[in-house]
Amino acid sequence: MEAVVALEQDAQLMLRVGEGDDTSFALLLERHRGPVVHFMYRMVQNQAVSEELAQEVFLRVYRSRSTYEPTAKFTTWLFRIATHVALNSIRDGKKEKGHESLDVDAADGMERQVADLQPTVEQAMVHEVKRREVRQAIEALPAKQRAAVLMHKYEGLDYAQIAAVLRCSESAVKSLLFRAYESLRGRLAHMA
Amino acid sequence: MICLNKNEQGAELLTGYLAKTLDAAGMAEVERHIRDCADCRGLASVWEKLDEFAAPEVRADFDARLYARIAEEDSHQPWWRRLLWRPAVPLVAAGALVGLGLLIAPRTHDAAKQANQMDIEQVAQAVDDMDLLTPIAQ
Repeated sequence: MEAVVALEQDAQLMLRVGEGDDTSFALLLERHRGPVVHFMYRMVQNQAVSEELAQEVFLRVYRSRSTYEPTAKFTTWLFRIATHVALNSIRDGKKEKGHESLDVDAADGMERQVADLQPTVEQAMVHEVKRREVRQAIEALPAKQRAAVLMHKYEGLDYAQIAAVLRCSESAVKSLLFRAYESLRGRLAHMA
Repeated sequence: MICLNKNEQGAELLTGYLAKTLDAAGMAEVERHIRDCADCRGLASVWEKLDEFAAPEVRADFDARLYARIAEEDSHQPWWRRLLWRPAVPLVAAGALVGLGLLIAPRTHDAAKQANQMDIEQVAQAVDDMDLLTPIAQ
């Protein structure tokens, strides 16, 4: 029920954006900025590129304000745009080579969402090794499987929503997810 | 229970279990299976391992950069396009429709008038033709 209310609120906000209400756009941005940027980050694994792509998503949302019709959940529509932008970026090889290190993050003054607030040096190193292994395992997935796993695991989209985003059947999504998790299991089997 | 790794229905159960979207009975069923099946236990543990992949916080100037891009894009649009999404648009559209209606209405009236005139001419022509034929019949 809460999800339905949220959907209606988002759709209503978007309709208001179409009527010229900039405040509604700011509210939608506030609500979905994090999920879209994080999805992009996990897709392309580069902070600068992920934010640039997320901005492209919100620009497209803004450009569509006058033609928007709430035919699907707002988040489904939003992630369809996000996935399209991400897959295009990956296809075009826009992603910069190499990954940021924790040093780079520290230099930028950014903080990661790490649960352990004051880890020892050893814990921090173990954590970083695990994180690198997981992101390499995710990066090794085919782009569509990667998108499906990220929407399922981190963004909480259900099968129907993922199917609508990827324009395939629910059963194809289940099979896609299963193959992806199988592949991740193989790659992460050594991790305790 | 057949191993969850072996069929699509099992896969659905397992992914549902991982995402905690199954009902209580489904969760308990998968839980029991996982206790006895190392393969499925391994697959289930992937979910927790993925928690390690945390995303960084969004940079504080994200919104400012986005609004700057929107403003830049807006400034490159022609004036009529910039007006398109403004609330005045419905009023302008309604005014244009009324104007169009006023332009078309007199023409429609003229056309009807012209059509009537043509009918009269045709009838007159027919009467003339009959007048011409009448002497022959006699």
